[in-house]
Amino acid sequence: MSRVVVIGAGLAGLVAANRLAEVGVQVVLLHKGLGGLQLGQGTIDVFGYAPERVFNPIKAVGSVATTHPYTAIGGKAVLTGLDYLKKLLPELLLGDPESNYQLPTAVGAIRPTCLAQPSMIAGHVTDGAKLVIVGIRGLKDFQPQLIAENLARTPLPDGGRLRARHLWVDVPARDGEIDSSGLTYARAFDDEDFRVRFAKAVVDQLREDEIVGLPAVLGLKDLHAWRDLAGKLAHRVFEIPLPPPSVPGLRLTEALTARALAAGVRIVPGVRTVRYASSGDRVTSVTTAAGLGGRGYAADAFLLATGGFESGALNLDSHQVVRETLFDLPLAGLDQTPLIHGEYWGPEQPLFKVGVAVNPKMQAVDAAGIPVFANLYAAGGIIAGASGWTEKSGDGIALASAIVAAAAISKELA
Amino acid sequence: MRKLAVDVVVIGGGSTGAGVVRDVAMRGFSTVLVERADLGQGTTGRFHGLLHSGGRYVVSDPESARECASENEILTRIQAGAIESTGGYFVTCPGDDPTFADKFLAGAANTGVWAREVSVAEALRNEPRLNPGISRAIEVRDGTVDGWKLVWGAANSARHYGAQILTYHRVTKIETEAGRVTAVRCTSLRSGEEVLIECDFVLNCAGPWAGQIAAMAGAHPVEVVPGRGIMIAMNHRLVNRVVNRCIYPADGDILVPAHTVSIIGTTDVKVDDPDNLAIEAHEVQQMLDAGEVLIPGFRNSRALHAWAGARPLIKDDRVAVSDTRHMSRGMAVIDHTTRDGLDGMLTIGGGKLTTYRLMAEHIVDAMCDKRGEHRDCRTDAEPVPGSESGRTHLVSDRLHDREHDRFDEQIICECELMSRKMFTDALASQPAGSFDDLRRQLRLGMGPCQGGFCSVRATGIALDAGHLDSERANGLLRLFLKNRWIGLWPILYGDQVRQTALDNWIFQGTLDVEHLPQPTSEVVL
Repeated sequence: MSRVVVIGAGLAGLVAANRLAEVGVQVVLLHKGLGGLQLGQGTIDVFGYAPERVFNPIKAVGSVATTHPYTAIGGKAVLTGLDYLKKLLPELLLGDPESNYQLPTAVGAIRPTCLAQPSMIAGHVTDGAKLVIVGIRGLKDFQPQLIAENLARTPLPDGGRLRARHLWVDVPARDGEIDSSGLTYARAFDDEDFRVRFAKAVVDQLREDEIVGLPAVLGLKDLHAWRDLAGKLAHRVFEIPLPPPSVPGLRLTEALTARALAAGVRIVPGVRTVRYASSGDRVTSVTTAAGLGGRGYAADAFLLATGGFESGALNLDSHQVVRETLFDLPLAGLDQTPLIHGEYWGPEQPLFKVGVAVNPKMQAVDAAGIPVFANLYAAGGIIAGASGWTEKSGDGIALASAIVAAAAISKELA
Repeated sequence: MRKLAVDVVVIGGGSTGAGVVRDVAMRGFSTVLVERADLGQGTTGRFHGLLHSGGRYVVSDPESARECASENEILTRIQAGAIESTGGYFVTCPGDDPTFADKFLAGAANTGVWAREVSVAEALRNEPRLNPGISRAIEVRDGTVDGWKLVWGAANSARHYGAQILTYHRVTKIETEAGRVTAVRCTSLRSGEEVLIECDFVLNCAGPWAGQIAAMAGAHPVEVVPGRGIMIAMNHRLVNRVVNRCIYPADGDILVPAHTVSIIGTTDVKVDDPDNLAIEAHEVQQMLDAGEVLIPGFRNSRALHAWAGARPLIKDDRVAVSDTRHMSRGMAVIDHTTRDGLDGMLTIGGGKLTTYRLMAEHIVDAMCDKRGEHRDCRTDAEPVPGSESGRTHLVSDRLHDREHDRFDEQIICECELMSRKMFTDALASQPAGSFDDLRRQLRLGMGPCQGGFCSVRATGIALDAGHLDSERANGLLRLFLKNRWIGLWPILYGDQVRQTALDNWIFQGTLDVEHLPQPTSEVVL
């Protein structure tokens, strides 16, 4: 049986591992941290701004510049990926590739995204909607007045306005605790007794027809906690994602990890892959920092899904040299100078578009377009040419590049 | 237009101005301080935080060395809350002239600056990250000082004695009549209101801007030569004592542990405009190289933030203008009566933060002489508000406080251990303040995440406290992030790039902060 090593447990790594395992490939997934999903908003972005607000994300994918990763990836893989995720995680992701949701953020901006969690979609903004944003005193990363006032004064993307007010409740996640993380609250919401207490604190303050906006902490393990709470409140509710740790992101990570394990993927968490060995034009093994000599993993193909600067996959050193930190791959995007400029609210910093160039098989290629190694593929944030946080495209690139890479690898190994 | 009438107007809200207004008020004059920005926003807030023992000057400038040694003792007594008594070393690094240490010890003996040579082994035991190749180490009584706390301490003391402090007021004109200063005109930058302050004396403490102020009274040009120095804050305390190179004063010769960071400094380049201080890439590289000499592996440490300050040096014809470090750092009081035929104004320049109190004493003495009255200076005898206990600051103080209030108070800025109450109290005392004004008092957003997690919390809490509306709240958030970036991008490498990417994922990726309703005009203060 063929063997593939996937490095990285963000959306790209997890999707690729699942896809490969499903077609009978033996997959080892090596990862150092928790993966990028827990740093994000826990929805699947495809294209949010191009640079104007995008309403039809799949259409926007088809009209990118040639240097953009979507050019090599192609719109078809995006559709395949979205369809795959929706079928794989029907309790966690809903949406339409041709229509973005427009969802409130935790500062009260209105953010486009393609697939969202069912617990979020009642927040999709509509003209005349009446929102009440409920803050929890013990959760400092959710400031309801800021959210409500910004939402109320924002013209909606397709016209109209909504009404929004805020209120506070004081329901500690744990007795006597006044400073709890979103994760602590999520675990509390997994417990029905807590939901009963929480609903009791909120329900009398709600007005007719109001849609209730809450921090995205409504349960981690219990994917129906939010629905149960909505029933107890007899109002529609929606979750608003918070800064990390992202509970919606963790839900996705846990669901994709559980699927991967069930499909036979061997997951080795908490290890840093530090070097590789090659023979001719092929990578033969990678080595993790374990014990004295490290631990080697030989395979027929390798997928680099390690992310960008945020994960340490790319590094800019004090002499201003950028490197891909595992394979020292050639990088694209370094021709833009300066790589960093002083305007915070100005154009995107060119540094953050630097990455590995890929061909339509997602093989890492050099400046001439030649694969660096015949069996080394790349997916997700390591790919050059896009700034995921600006465009709101990071998930779509990760998802679709993983789909393409997994297909190319299984075809190659067949 | 608002009208005030006082004896003395002090112009400039840095350490000099704050020290002067305190001294003036303590001597019983009615006084007002006018500052165009926030207290300590100029040179005072843009240095490395060193409280000199005098060691730096024992060879090059014995008079300064004596003053520093004496003022160090006084400040540690009267402004204990702003000072950490870290101690310091002068070390001879590989390649440095080892005989300088002998000159140093002789200079210390001559000037009365406390110094003691210790074995290299002892120095390395106390500061294990120091370059093991050092050949000599001299222990001195350097400390660190929080310039903002120092200035606020002095200003609060002045207020206690009846002084008024007008921040964010720009002086537009100094009125004169028959060769005498009669009033200062200024404009509130926040409300636009004009303020006319009638007075019979003006003390110009505007530092690198002193020339611009003197010109407003029609004085002959006072030539100030701003010397730009850059500083870089490195994450963590790489050393727990101040570490100086034991050489003739040079660039990048000092590493100062300040709060939770270590600051390397500095450079010295003559500039024309103190409002336009660039942080040049080659100077950043120069500082990192200098750090590598003191602490091997320095470049692998995480740089958090950089800034540039302008030394307020008044031109001294005896040295070349391009070499500002070796100009006299001794304070200079310019008497505009003899120089310009203008009564009622004195300008002070030069000096250094460690001797700010002494500078104030000199200029206020000079003013009293001109007024023909004698009033004693008492600033060395009385602690400023908040420093009465005489207990100096420790880096662990905030941790201690949070351990005690952790069941009652949320921590809003984890990097700097700032509680919610610290923030709301500061906000209540400065309701019109920007987040940067609050930062200077609280260290909000100054740690490794550079505002990534705390700034949205602060925005929401400020709105919730009722001091501002959501448009200003958004504007303040935008301004804060923009200002953080000014000190970030010149030193962006390694883990701080990683942090920036995470912060971008938070602000743009999750929060879409760039698509909040655009402000009608950007908040600028």
